[in-house]
Amino acid sequence: MVMRQLISVVDDDESVRESLPDLLRELGFAAEAFSSAEEFLASDCLGQTRCLVLDVTMQGMSGPDLLQELTRLRREIPIVFITAHRDEGVRPRLLERGAVECLFKPFSDTALLEALNAALRVSRPVTEK
Amino acid sequence: MEVQLEHPAEEIKRLRRCVNDLVSVVALPATWGGGEPAEIVRALTEALLGMLSLDLVYVRLGVAVSEAPVEMVRLAQPGSPTAVPREVGELFDRWMGDDPQKWPPFERHNVGGEDMTLVPLRLGLRGEIGIIVAGSRREDFPRQTESLVLSVAANQAAMGLQQALLLSERNLKLLTDIDDRKRAETQRDRTIEELRTQQSMLSESEQRFRAIFDEAGTGITLVDLQQPETPIQNNRALRTMLGLSQEELGFFETYDELTAAADREADAATFRELCEGRRDGLRQEKHFILRDGSSVWANVIFTLLRDAAGRPRFVIAIHEDITERKRAVERLQTKQELIDLAQKSARAMAFDWYIQQDINVWSPEQESLYGLQPGSFDGTFQGWKRLIHPPDWPLLLKAVKHAHETGEVSVEFRAAWPDGSLHWLATNGQMFFDGQGKPFRMVGFTSDVTPRRLAEEERRRSEAFLAEAQHLSSTGSFSWRVETNKITWSKQAYHIFELDPAVPMTPELIRTRVHPEDIPLFDEVFERARAAVSNFEFEHRLLMPDSSIKYLHVIAHKTRDQDGEPEYIGAIQDVTERRRSEEALGNLRSELAHVSRVATLGALTASIAHEVNQPLSGIITNASTCLRMLAADPPNVDGARETARRTIRDGHRASDVITRLRALFGKKGATSEPVDLNEATREVIALSLSELRRKRVIPRLELADDLPPVTGDRVQLQQVILNLLLNALDAMSGVEDCPTPLVIRTARDEDERVRLSVQDAGVGFDPQAAERLFEAFYTTKNDGMGIGLSVSRSIIESHHGRLWATLNDDTGATFSFSIPHASEAATDASGVGEVLTPASTDAERVKGDS
Repeated sequence: MVMRQLISVVDDDESVRESLPDLLRELGFAAEAFSSAEEFLASDCLGQTRCLVLDVTMQGMSGPDLLQELTRLRREIPIVFITAHRDEGVRPRLLERGAVECLFKPFSDTALLEALNAALRVSRPVTEK
Repeated sequence: MEVQLEHPAEEIKRLRRCVNDLVSVVALPATWGGGEPAEIVRALTEALLGMLSLDLVYVRLGVAVSEAPVEMVRLAQPGSPTAVPREVGELFDRWMGDDPQKWPPFERHNVGGEDMTLVPLRLGLRGEIGIIVAGSRREDFPRQTESLVLSVAANQAAMGLQQALLLSERNLKLLTDIDDRKRAETQRDRTIEELRTQQSMLSESEQRFRAIFDEAGTGITLVDLQQPETPIQNNRALRTMLGLSQEELGFFETYDELTAAADREADAATFRELCEGRRDGLRQEKHFILRDGSSVWANVIFTLLRDAAGRPRFVIAIHEDITERKRAVERLQTKQELIDLAQKSARAMAFDWYIQQDINVWSPEQESLYGLQPGSFDGTFQGWKRLIHPPDWPLLLKAVKHAHETGEVSVEFRAAWPDGSLHWLATNGQMFFDGQGKPFRMVGFTSDVTPRRLAEEERRRSEAFLAEAQHLSSTGSFSWRVETNKITWSKQAYHIFELDPAVPMTPELIRTRVHPEDIPLFDEVFERARAAVSNFEFEHRLLMPDSSIKYLHVIAHKTRDQDGEPEYIGAIQDVTERRRSEEALGNLRSELAHVSRVATLGALTASIAHEVNQPLSGIITNASTCLRMLAADPPNVDGARETARRTIRDGHRASDVITRLRALFGKKGATSEPVDLNEATREVIALSLSELRRKRVIPRLELADDLPPVTGDRVQLQQVILNLLLNALDAMSGVEDCPTPLVIRTARDEDERVRLSVQDAGVGFDPQAAERLFEAFYTTKNDGMGIGLSVSRSIIESHHGRLWATLNDDTGATFSFSIPHASEAATDASGVGEVLTPASTDAERVKGDS
């Protein structure tokens, strides 16, 4: 039994929390969903999470806020941002701040897989290359 | 005219004098009754001298009368009494040889050194009694009347002399009876013979007198005072005049009876004075009232004749019938008075224009009508023309031309007074034509009609104003007498109804034009107005024959006509245009609201995209998952079913968002429906949720549970709510961590209204600019168009509500609107009374009224 890599989803939209983990599991990952950044930070998944799929706009702590907090905590988890606000200016700013990718909702499963693969590659040691 | 009037008067005067003379002559024998021939001759000559103004009377009596011829001469002026008779006598001697029948009627001779006309008159049939010669220096002597008087006088003298002769014959007979029978017999025979002759002469004379007396055109009465039993003598003319026979008129009582009652006593007294000799004559205008009731006026000359002893003997009354003349004078007087009166009352002044001579005779009053001083009008046509207001001159020329054709003149024109003022004059008159048909005279009246013309003009002007006002305002007026159903309809009212003004207006006729859907309303108003008689106001539509529709606004006031009967006075306004423009304005407003909405929603684009993308994202994710589950070996059917279910759910969610968006973006026209403001608010919040989230504002909703629905356009009201919400967010965007959140509140308001307020904790606004906030294109924002609040206010006002802003006590502002929650009857506070509006137009009123 291969140990699946854990992908955590943080989004305040319930439909995302419902649907996205199922898809991730079909793609061969383990998945956990959190309705807010605060919930994620408080969970015990923080250490096991290999990639974070993070909504940008949320009540309370936003996606970028969590990115900043993780950097502060030196938890270098690769992050794939997702957002329903198609603001082209947002993506470069997030990539600059260390995000692996920023997907605009709605996105296809292949676009998600590519982003996840990219994220997981980042987290791997350079030697694997 | 005066000459014509005076001529008959002169004639009458002359004739009357003649009759007077005749009567005097006729009465002469009374004065010499029983007298000697010499006495007779003296009386006669004196009478003739006086009556005929003679210069000379010569009388010679023949042997038949006295033994020796008697000669006598009377002169008006003292002269040579011997020489004249001789000359005249010689003349007579020459004449006497001739047949008296061949005597000339008169001859001119030199008598006593003066030329005289001599008229010979024989006494007796052959002049056997004597001759009379009358002489006058007048060249017109003898006039016809004078000849008549002379011949009557000669007859009278002959009669008197014969009577005197008879008396002497009788004396002679007594003497001869004793002395000489034969001689006496002879004498008697001769006397009888002569008497016969004389009697025949007497009878002839008597007949002549009778003839003169009776045939005289003047009524004559002869009263013998010494023989009271003798019937009063009246001639035929008098009998005709008084309508009675000789027998009836023979008594003084009859005469007295016919005298007008008012004069009777005085006349009788005067007559007594006359009869008693206290006066010799008098002249009276007597008023007789005949037995048939008609009036006769007579000019009466009473003359008292005395006998030789100076005792009253006869009264002669000569009646000249002046009834006709008096009537004519009366008529003339009446006519003149009428003319004067007419002139005075009509202020009409006469003119008399002799056309061919170009002389226009004006009275001073006529001149005053033209503003002229008396006597300053020169009477010429050109002079007249100068007095006329030049633009009116052609009118007058036309009137004169018309008069040439018809003889009638009737024209009104303006006279330009010397002081420059204009006066309206009316001239009416008649043109007269000479034998050749050429006009020679125009007579007429002119009157000042300025006040009437001014009043007419004023009336015309105000009528024109009224008509114009009615035309401009598309307002017709009417009156309706309820009792008689008599309707008076103004021209413009006919125009609105597109009916012929010649057709009398009736309720039935009006009804034929009323839109079928409005007939029940029309009938109801009509019947109520008829029964209750109160002011009414209502709106209805007309359906015209060409299928077009007119909107009418009708207002009527109750009043009473001059008979006290109820009458409505009202106005009908064609408000079709207003309705059309209201409609157009409504459309424009909707368009603006739409544009504003699109603009507003534009600000929400990101938020909306988020709202749409969220479910879309769910759909795609779930669908992908579903496909992968089905592709697995073995397929995860349960999982696929679950994801498919979620796909469908998210699809609905997306669909809801799209529906809401389409409602806000797509709809333009306004509708009217019950709107629950709470629900509308929740939808707006739902649509703006992501925007609120992005702005990090969580609105607090304080929605009243028992809020009644309002009537209006849901989308427009939501647009207002959205506008207020977005404004609040904008106001709060610069403010960090607002302690007080955004509050949206609904509540029942007073006066059956519902209020919605959006309270923010933003920057507020400048109180000075509180009203300007709602002006179009007033904005404090860099990215705003400044139409949001302006459009919002117009939407609220079209819902009969109002929108206002207040500053909060602590921070921020509150924007509120308040609208009626029940559909109020569309009334305006004109106080005109009951207003009824067709139900079918309610929606349009709401939409259209601003």
